[in-house]
Amino acid sequence: MKIKNIAYSCLTEKCLQGLGNEEAIQWLHPDLSSQIILYETLEAESNKIAGVMQSLGVGKGDVVAIFLPRHPVLISAFFAILKLQAVSCILFSTLGEEALYDRLENSRAKVLITRRSLLRKIRAIQGKLPDLQQVLVIDQDEDEGEFIQSLSRLLGTAPGEFPYEQFVDAETPAFIQYTSGSTGKPKGALHVHDAIKDMELTFNEVLQVKPDELFWCTADPAWITGLVYGIIAPLHTRAKQVQFSGGYGAELWLKILEERGVNVWYTAPTALRMMMQEPDAVFARHNLSCLDRIYSVGEPLNPEIYHWGKRVFQTEIYDTWFQSETGSIMIANTPQSRVKPGSMGVPRAGVRVEICDERMAPQPAGKQGQLCLQKGWHSMFRTFFRNPEKYAEKFFGKLYITGDLAKKDEEGYFWYVSRADDVINTAGHLVGPFEVESALLEIEEVADVAIIGADDPLLYQKLVAFLKLHKGVQWSKELELKCRIHVANKVSSVAIPSEFQIIERIPKNQSGKILRRVLKAIYEGRDPGDLSTMEE
Amino acid sequence: MKMDITERLTKVFRKVFDDESIILSPELTANDVDGWDSLSHINLLIAIELEFGIEFKQNEIQSFADVGELMQSIEKKMAEKG
Repeated sequence: MKIKNIAYSCLTEKCLQGLGNEEAIQWLHPDLSSQIILYETLEAESNKIAGVMQSLGVGKGDVVAIFLPRHPVLISAFFAILKLQAVSCILFSTLGEEALYDRLENSRAKVLITRRSLLRKIRAIQGKLPDLQQVLVIDQDEDEGEFIQSLSRLLGTAPGEFPYEQFVDAETPAFIQYTSGSTGKPKGALHVHDAIKDMELTFNEVLQVKPDELFWCTADPAWITGLVYGIIAPLHTRAKQVQFSGGYGAELWLKILEERGVNVWYTAPTALRMMMQEPDAVFARHNLSCLDRIYSVGEPLNPEIYHWGKRVFQTEIYDTWFQSETGSIMIANTPQSRVKPGSMGVPRAGVRVEICDERMAPQPAGKQGQLCLQKGWHSMFRTFFRNPEKYAEKFFGKLYITGDLAKKDEEGYFWYVSRADDVINTAGHLVGPFEVESALLEIEEVADVAIIGADDPLLYQKLVAFLKLHKGVQWSKELELKCRIHVANKVSSVAIPSEFQIIERIPKNQSGKILRRVLKAIYEGRDPGDLSTMEE
Repeated sequence: MKMDITERLTKVFRKVFDDESIILSPELTANDVDGWDSLSHINLLIAIELEFGIEFKQNEIQSFADVGELMQSIEKKMAEKG
């Protein structure tokens, strides 16, 4: 089946309909200066980048990675990649060099688009990436040999037109979204052009942004929420939106909400928890009367935050649930249903959700189990890139196993319980313990390590590192700093453990698997339970 | 004194953010340095505490708008320390 290329739906079609000079994005820079980006600007810029990449040999099916913080070029580059029917892979600019290597190696990215200040991370690993042929730098005028070239220089001579096929096969790969697992390397969920149907549908049915409303999605585009609800869906549906390329700051964000007159705000519970630390007077200083509704995603919105948010923002907050793998919102609270504080909401129309026990038998209301979705929706990931075995493990017959534990109540609302595996949800980011453990084991003083997730009032979950040090090594503030810096620069700042505990021995079973439940019990001061499988 | 602090603070920044090209100026903010977010900011403050032998209070942690304010705070704490 043929479908319009996502780039065509979001940009080219708008320009052909005479809407090119319509505002696509109100871009706010970190100092809050603003820039209006038109559809025709994104169309022309993405055409130029597509032309440049084509001349470099990028074609159908090639992976192009974008390693940039929020920046207008990131958006143009994303659509340029789709116009070539290549595959986009947007990566968090906070990734450390090992985390970056894992993703570039797995995706076999042919071209990487980045900025000058991030080049040092690429230089550190480029020798291990035989598939990476070209690095394009957006803010550098000079090339550095053949390998590192100036994108701005190349764009200077690129034409503003780029003819491409309007229709693609619906199953044509469009983008890869990396996600962490409890074991092994991160996995790349591959999405196809067909996904746009669910992105549009959920944007309209859940977020319900009206033509006269202003929308702000605070998520980074390297996060599935930022890509789907910050770029694709609002551009496709012509929603008025604001994008902010600065970081978090309570006063700053409130200023944006007030001065821009944001009506619909899609953010994360962690951001709300951080805001909750501010005194009420901070909120009273701002006129937030334009704000009509708030949506949240990333981790559960606990009732305490919900009630606080409703009070200070004077509006309803709707929690939503989805994953990198699902590609669009699957379960949500919406204005059409009564909000139950703390619940994930109800499945959107057409999505069948089951709670299953260990044998994958559907469970009645009130029973806790694996949250599973009947497969077959458009935005469902099609595979884990170059990892079909892991993809197969995520299914039982027609059921996709989400890896979350939840329960359903009598009225059909779903309630998140926890992850079913060892993946840690910290500030909305899924962190696999393996990546962090591998980084810490590189530190010469560390003999062994285990990472667990523990409840945290701000981050939802925090990382706790249990370290066994080599004989004669004393734990110190300097060593803690060394560990923290190493994790930040090798993995990511979101993976920095909040706490370090020194122990004599990491508990493992007889086949060497870390017994995280034992460590969790020790951390929480509980009885660790049955230790019969523990190695002597 | 000020020069000494700038040099030592530059060393701290370069170590924390693993970037030898960082050049400090009073106007420099988190938006100008890749990787300087609220989480790595804790690393930065621990490194500063160790380098200068000072301590930041909980309410000071997120209170610096730019490097200039951070340097003022370091100078003040060092003066108090004697």
